[in-house]
Amino acid sequence: MGDDEARSWIRGDETAKQMLSRVLKDRAFLLIPPLHRVPLRAGNVVEITGASTSAKTQILIQAAISCILPKTWNGIHYGGLGKLVLFLDLDCRFDVLRLSQMLKHRLLQANWLGNGAWWQLEESNVKSCKSAEEKTKTVFDEELYASCMKRFLYVRCYDSLELLSSLKTLHYRIQQQEACGSQVGVLMIDSIGAFHWTDRLSSSLALETHNRKSLSLTNVVETIVQELKKLLLVHSLVVLATKGTIYKEKYPANENNRKVSSNDHFSGNVASKAQQPPFREFMPSSWQAFVTHKIIIRKSADYQSLQTGQQNLLAYSLEWLQPQLSRIDRFIVDDVRKFTTIKPFYSKLLLIYIVIPASSSHAVWYCHCLVT
Amino acid sequence: MAPLKHLEKENPIIDACFQDFCASHGILTSCVLHLLFLYLSNYFEDFLLHDLYELTAFSQRQTNADRLKEGITLILSLIERQCRPLVNGLKLLEDLHRNKHTLSTGDKETDSLLQGGFREGQLTELVGPSSSGKTQFCMQAAASVAENHLGRVLYLDTGNSFSARRIAQFICSSSDATLGQKVMSRILCHTVYDIYTLFDTLQDLEITLRLQMNVNESRLRLLVVDSISSLITPILGGSGSQGRALMVAIGYLLKKLAHEHSIAILVTNHTVGAGGEGGKTKPALGETWKSIPHVRLSLSRDHKNSNCTISILKHTSLPSGQAAKTLTRKENQQCP
Repeated sequence: MGDDEARSWIRGDETAKQMLSRVLKDRAFLLIPPLHRVPLRAGNVVEITGASTSAKTQILIQAAISCILPKTWNGIHYGGLGKLVLFLDLDCRFDVLRLSQMLKHRLLQANWLGNGAWWQLEESNVKSCKSAEEKTKTVFDEELYASCMKRFLYVRCYDSLELLSSLKTLHYRIQQQEACGSQVGVLMIDSIGAFHWTDRLSSSLALETHNRKSLSLTNVVETIVQELKKLLLVHSLVVLATKGTIYKEKYPANENNRKVSSNDHFSGNVASKAQQPPFREFMPSSWQAFVTHKIIIRKSADYQSLQTGQQNLLAYSLEWLQPQLSRIDRFIVDDVRKFTTIKPFYSKLLLIYIVIPASSSHAVWYCHCLVT
Repeated sequence: MAPLKHLEKENPIIDACFQDFCASHGILTSCVLHLLFLYLSNYFEDFLLHDLYELTAFSQRQTNADRLKEGITLILSLIERQCRPLVNGLKLLEDLHRNKHTLSTGDKETDSLLQGGFREGQLTELVGPSSSGKTQFCMQAAASVAENHLGRVLYLDTGNSFSARRIAQFICSSSDATLGQKVMSRILCHTVYDIYTLFDTLQDLEITLRLQMNVNESRLRLLVVDSISSLITPILGGSGSQGRALMVAIGYLLKKLAHEHSIAILVTNHTVGAGGEGGKTKPALGETWKSIPHVRLSLSRDHKNSNCTISILKHTSLPSGQAAKTLTRKENQQCP
């Protein structure tokens, strides 16, 4: 008896390989361009701040697509996570057409690559009418498209009370959805500061009566944080929240200035560089303490595309505030119609990622969505 | 804890409801639900702010634990019924294709710029300096929707600039008198001079639409608020939150109307000086308003040759920066 026990104790429960595969499956790293500088794990809360038209929702949609695509399907490698995405739309401006177009494009691309048709893609950059007909024959998998769209779950809230109700019942509803197979991977909140002004008004109007918690801004945000923490305890998901700026940027950071100053002060005190946040923070401290990663996105000067020579492309710069990284990434959002010849059928906006290292002045390479 | 004390006091009512509940084979009838909801809505906010698990744990220690637990479960089910359902992407797409059609703006170049026109369910904002043709654009859109899409139009005018004669000029079938009359009768114009009247009008509209289910042929398709900025600017000011909160509330009410009843909403905004930020003018209403409309268009007029240029400032599915030149239709021009 004692011998057996001792032996089983020494033998262990699982090998290192088994443990690693289990952990990687449960708590996978999310590496989504352009957020791929820092590996995101379950339990991380990422806050993406940016002024009004700064491609924040575009990043969310791109991340959602990476999440809902499966890893492989019918022998073709898509490189996704195959998990559910929960989208809490507080801005109420989500356009499902854009999601569907981008998903179709991703499926098509993967199809071409999967069939060894990389050279065909290169050829398609040279416009030719004949190849257009051939392209239409490579139809993407309808069943896969439907199953991916079903993994995208969406709920809208028009005010804080609705948001709180949704959060309180979210756990139960997620369980219902998870019964169909996949787990939740990402929870996205579009514009966490959407009800800021209406909550501030109700906090100034509310009477703080004895023992009764009023519906004030701090209380609402505290309850939101509490509910999210409870969700994070039971589900392994990443929270991606966008935040708009409510006040005009006080320190409109010119990119060139920043580069110069960072080179100068690098050996000097890093503290002075990190002192002022480049925008005025309006979320209460309970939310700020809850967030583990912070990103800020700014509009950059117009960029001229190398491939098509198209001018006036919108370029944005992305900076990681927490953890503080010294390099600033730039990306552009371009209409992918110009790269393929399937113009009449699909038109979509694709995130094309260009890495411009802080030291050199020319773009190095395209980190395109093609690399799955 | 205040909410539980109220719950304890009112226990007899919950008991009666629970008896009904059991009597009807465990199905909560809707009238019972309404009564309960009306009753509990006073304390609804409190329940939302408190941690329900803590409440449950607290109730375990009370003497009448069972009743309290039942009450809390009831609250949870009420909350769940009240909040919006989780829809998946496929259902969203179906709803889009079935209910939310694209409405032509009345002008071919603008239609091709916007890939069809206004989309039902979206809030479109038109920004432009004064006398750049915003009201003309609105009236043209109203005429086009009434004529081509056979839909009703509600035009909320804040500056007495609505002109029926001008609308008649935009309608192509004005040669046929009866048809012209019919088209004109689909456009309803209200004058609104302050934001509270706008709130009242919109809330009445919401109640009417909910009652009549906005699905038949001649349903409301377009809502125009000509110069929403002239209603909001007087209340915005300083660093207080009242003005901006009202602005955000109006924005959300409009978006809710648009989405739930499949209406396209068009609002206009004026421009103010940019104060040295780059460019001479910027849209009014500030930073918070920027994230409220789905689509923002900018209109500018070249006074030398009276050409108008419309460009996209922001769109949910098109790249911004694209522009198109339009020409305002004069009196005797041919209809497209």
